Amino acid sequence: MEKKKITFKINGVEKTVEVAPNKTLLWLIREELKLKGTKKACERGDCGLCTVLLNGEPVKSCLVLAVEVDGSEIVTVEGLSRDGELTELQKAFIEHGALQCGFCTPAFLIVGHWLINRNPRPSKEEVVEALNGLLCRCTGYRPIIEAILSVSKAKK
Amino acid sequence: MLPKLEYSSPKTLEELFEVLEKYQEKAKILAGGTDLLVSLRDRVEKARHLVDIKKIKELDRLEYRKGEGLIIGATVTLRRILESQLIREKYPVLWEAVKTIGDVILKNRATLVGNICNASPAADSAPALLVLEANVRIVSKEGSREVPIDKFFTGVKKTILRSGEVVKEVVVPEPPSNSFGRYLKMMRVWSEDLAIVGVAGLGYREGRELRVRLAYSSVAPTPLRIREAEEAFTRDGTMEERIERAVQVASQRVSPISDVRGSAEYRLNLVKVLTRRLLKQMVEVV
Ligand SMILES: Cc1cc2nc3c(=O)[nH]c(=O)nc-3n(C[C@H](O)[C@H](O)[C@H](O)COP(=O)(O)OP(=O)(O)OC[C@H]3O[C@@H](n4cnc5c(N)ncnc54)[C@H](O)[C@@H]3O)c2cc1C
Repeated sequence: MEKKKITFKINGVEKTVEVAPNKTLLWLIREELKLKGTKKACERGDCGLCTVLLNGEPVKSCLVLAVEVDGSEIVTVEGLSRDGELTELQKAFIEHGALQCGFCTPAFLIVGHWLINRNPRPSKEEVVEALNGLLCRCTGYRPIIEAILSVSKAKK
Repeated sequence: MLPKLEYSSPKTLEELFEVLEKYQEKAKILAGGTDLLVSLRDRVEKARHLVDIKKIKELDRLEYRKGEGLIIGATVTLRRILESQLIREKYPVLWEAVKTIGDVILKNRATLVGNICNASPAADSAPALLVLEANVRIVSKEGSREVPIDKFFTGVKKTILRSGEVVKEVVVPEPPSNSFGRYLKMMRVWSEDLAIVGVAGLGYREGRELRVRLAYSSVAPTPLRIREAEEAFTRDGTMEERIERAVQVASQRVSPISDVRGSAEYRLNLVKVLTRRLLKQMVEVV
């Protein structure tokens, strides 16, 4: 299996690596780049926990091939905070207890940031809709929704 | 883990045809990958050369032309369809069907053409395209052909596409004027699931007569338009009699199976309930 050379930006840093065509973007992030914030669970698009931003839009990285991201820009949960300072949304997750085991948290943060960026004042319905590709088995979702809404209110 | 794969990403249709000719049955088109990567992982899909079409500019068209209708290119994502106000207003049955597919994240990658080429009996866009009488534009090295969507599906996960052929776009003609379209999808949970049964309806007036078109997902080996039920509705009688006649005929034409989402008996009952519900709405609105 011939490896392909790909160049991309991840969390602002440019990288060039060689990958086999059967490796996913999820594999690239976790195994090649050792960024373990992005979680591997169902690997069939159902749970959404491997969600990252690809050129600014959320994608389930288990359903994207690494070779497909040549020339693209990727943001993972590690790329959200700036200079060691948590984002408003990350702080709100802590304040609202929007996590228990924490396994799904990176994906919810990624989608939460994406939503607030394109729609600074989403309604509750819009938040719920944006999150419906992600599974959480601890929180019952309510604190997550409240955390996102608290940040959107703060921006008023 | 995915099996060993080769990958190419042609930039033009000509390059695409070359790759397809070279690899023949080994090659498979990769659009959003939301079906293909799962079936490769499950070893259901045997092809080992993926041809990514997302770099081919010609396949990126989403365009409405008065008279001709709506053109949806092979790489147009469900997200783009959902964001189109024109589609929402002019083709509500298609818009509603697309809205029910997967979730917001999935729709960033998944394409409408991928949904029909995958040819699942549960493909949600298919009933809508059936009642809108869409056509599928197919291209290959040899040339092009246009096939009505009701001739496109041939079995579970099977289409009329031959080796070397690619769907370039779907063309959805102008719907009848003042038509009413709706897609009803029954799921086990309120979102993110395949249909237990889905029903698309289009109602419109021909002169003073109310006409309907009906098509279904998850009730037969392929998505299915049931013209006999449409005709049964058209014949004489009170509105109630006409609806019940259509419901009976529809339930006789489907051949549902039992699976994790529901039993055959339940599906059969849903066909009746949803058909009746849809027809009542059309009688009220159109
Ligand atoms: C979590 C999840 C939820 C889902 N929910 C739904 C749902 O609610 N309803 C539903 O209907 N589906 C659902 N799906 C299935 C899938 O997302 C859709 O069918 C989607 O529209 C497929 O599009 P794609 O671009 O990802 O196709 P791909 O996976 O890229 O391709 C699908 C198939 O079509 C072929 N193909 C693609 N484009 C062409 C072309 N231009 N010419 C010839 N062949 C082509 C490919 O070779 C492949 O065999 C779901 C999938 C997942 C993972």
